[in-house]
Amino acid sequence: MAQLQSIAAPEQYNYDIVRKFTIMALFWGILGMSAGLYAALELAFPAFNLDIAQITFGRLRPVHTTLVIFGFGGCALFATSYYVVQRTCQARLWGSALANFTFWGWQAVLALGALSYMWGYSQGREYAEFPWPIDILIAVVWVAYLLIYVQTLRRRSQPHIYVANWFYLGFILATALLHIFNNLAVPVGMSSMASYSAFAGVQDAMTQWWYGHNAVGFFLTAAFLGMMYYFVPKQAGRPVYSYRLSIIHFWALVFLYMWAGAHHLHWTALPDWTSTLAATFSIMLLLPSWGGMINGIMTLSGAWEKLRTDPIMLFLITALSFYGMATFEGPLMSLKSVNALSHYTDWTIGHVHSGALGWVAMITFGSMYHLVPRLYDTKIHSIRLIYVHFWLASIGIVLYITSMWVAGIGQGLLLRGFDDYGNLAYSFIETVTFLHQPYVWRALGGAFFLSGVLVMAYNTWRTIANGKREAAEVEARLSAKLARAWYRRVTWSNQE
Amino acid sequence: MAEAKPNKPSGAVQTTGHAWDGDLQEFNNPLPRWWVWAFYATVVFAVVYWILYPAWPIGRSYTKGVMNNITFKEGDKEVTMHWNTRALLWRDMQTGPEAVKQRRYMDQVANADYQQIVSDPKMMGFVQSVGKVLFADNCAACHGSGGQGKIGLFPNLSDDAWLWGGSLEDIHATISQGRHGYMPSFRATFSAAQVEQVSDYVLSLSGHQVDPASAAAGKAMFNGQGGGCYYCHGENGKGMKSQGSANLTDSIWTIADVPGQGTLTGKRDVVAQVILNGVHRQMPNWNGRLSATEIKLLTVYVHNVLGVGK
Repeated sequence: MAQLQSIAAPEQYNYDIVRKFTIMALFWGILGMSAGLYAALELAFPAFNLDIAQITFGRLRPVHTTLVIFGFGGCALFATSYYVVQRTCQARLWGSALANFTFWGWQAVLALGALSYMWGYSQGREYAEFPWPIDILIAVVWVAYLLIYVQTLRRRSQPHIYVANWFYLGFILATALLHIFNNLAVPVGMSSMASYSAFAGVQDAMTQWWYGHNAVGFFLTAAFLGMMYYFVPKQAGRPVYSYRLSIIHFWALVFLYMWAGAHHLHWTALPDWTSTLAATFSIMLLLPSWGGMINGIMTLSGAWEKLRTDPIMLFLITALSFYGMATFEGPLMSLKSVNALSHYTDWTIGHVHSGALGWVAMITFGSMYHLVPRLYDTKIHSIRLIYVHFWLASIGIVLYITSMWVAGIGQGLLLRGFDDYGNLAYSFIETVTFLHQPYVWRALGGAFFLSGVLVMAYNTWRTIANGKREAAEVEARLSAKLARAWYRRVTWSNQE
Repeated sequence: MAEAKPNKPSGAVQTTGHAWDGDLQEFNNPLPRWWVWAFYATVVFAVVYWILYPAWPIGRSYTKGVMNNITFKEGDKEVTMHWNTRALLWRDMQTGPEAVKQRRYMDQVANADYQQIVSDPKMMGFVQSVGKVLFADNCAACHGSGGQGKIGLFPNLSDDAWLWGGSLEDIHATISQGRHGYMPSFRATFSAAQVEQVSDYVLSLSGHQVDPASAAAGKAMFNGQGGGCYYCHGENGKGMKSQGSANLTDSIWTIADVPGQGTLTGKRDVVAQVILNGVHRQMPNWNGRLSATEIKLLTVYVHNVLGVGK
């Protein structure tokens, strides 16, 4: 029975596209995190620049952010959303060729983006550095993605749309909106990579951070909540805690997030009223964010013992805990008085990584450990290595976040220190040399985290190899059986 | 995989009755009460914030907030307006506790001459405190954190040798006007042998044991029309403050790294490089970037804390 199903499964669902995106998520993850580790080393030891323009911090940093957000995160979202929408709609993915286009298009976006930054072509908009030709490619790929997703939902053989799909669809729609409006620009010329933004001055900054914060809100939060809503209950084998909570916090989240971006521009030329609205909406965002955490963690209520026996569950629940922590820290930092201390320091970097490493990456790791054996119809190669990965990742995150708290709060306090004469107590360079030690610890944390991903890549590779070998064996046995049956029939007919 | 495992809802809570992908279901637990009340609390917080501070746009204006006015001075006039970051900055710069402390000393320094400043221990304490940060933020990028400079590029400010003079007045002029150090290249003037001879002479001025015949030939060019080095460096090579030209008779080198070379040939080579390439370096003026009082403070800091007066 099980074997028959496994043979039938690839027919029923398009798993090929999910496999491709899953493997590329790991590939870009390793590349992007390596770029991040190298950039961290450059901050601690500037000699790592090696005087090569392409790998100086200013160019490597967008390579890192792009490859981890859009490469690792993006491919993981494509993979899991294509998997989840098929399984929860009980329908094969609409448009196989178009799905393949989204795959190759997205890979081209990532490769071209990373190379263009290294060779000095950047729009200079954080998380939207892609030069305009790549922006157009992104828009095309994204519209194809939306079309595939909606069409697959329409051909569902289930009366209701599962909650994970609301989040995925919200993410796809919002990302299209954000990407297009933030990248409205006039190219300098058809043969030029440079362009002028359609907005100017503080309005340009406002547009960029409306985009930037919602990239966090929809790309890195709503979409990964979609992932959570499928893989947590699936892995736990239990129903989601509260349907009502999922509705309320979904709508509250998508409504409130859109207002919060301006908190990236406190104490600037931005009008004070805009700042106030951003801060208050960020505060109101706290509980809707926690709604997702509560729903995920409480799903395990009554089955807590799974945390002792299932390392995948450990990943998923730890991710939710970090999500809760980061979404508590965020509103705190959005208050103007706290922001006066935290802004322009590494506290911001620490905050975004408690979200990115703790929430986004951990939920993805857990989901992929669930996903990969199912895609290749086998068992995971080593449970022990999942534990190893979990601890490497956890130690890495803790080192990263705490060192950035020290660096950020420390530098913030040094910058506002006065002496008995009412003079600033520290020169700027003193606040920079102070950062060296925390930067070394941060790089160490990053090295732990990356080594965990390498362990995962090995485990995944062995799992896939096992899966392929088993499939080949099944096929061989099957054809042997068929051959024997055919031989018997031939011999019988001969006897007759 | 696809076989549905029966789910047992815990307690009285029921699932919604839907099932996806075999076993995916949802309980219909009510919203946690603490979650609802905490959410309401954040809404109340936001509303109070909107009442107190500028918040909602209305046409071309916006709600200004109440009970949060800021008073500051604009010229001689006292201005009171609704809470906003610019007014907040004005008030802090005018009446903030640190600003008040700092201004007392700033005013004192502004009204004193250099002699009064250096003889007043309290004002000198202020110079030490403010000068450290002023120097680190504006000067140290080139001259080094302790003013030690960098041979070949930026002069050392912590020794007694000064290209443009080391008195308080000279240093004040240097900071406020900037300096342009220039020595022409002699590549087209001298033959290779002549460059060696002039280099030998230059080294002999600071007591190096060089070939006397070569140095004598070099001296003739140095002090004659052939090279004309004396125009700027003086006949005895002691340099001229008005030109910013180096004193070649001390053992202090700002361009050629003579002390860094182990052999005499090496020392001659680095001097020869300066003669061949000339010198072209510039210090910007700080008039527009620093206030008159800040320049005064930096002058005393460079003179008395880093340099000759220490």
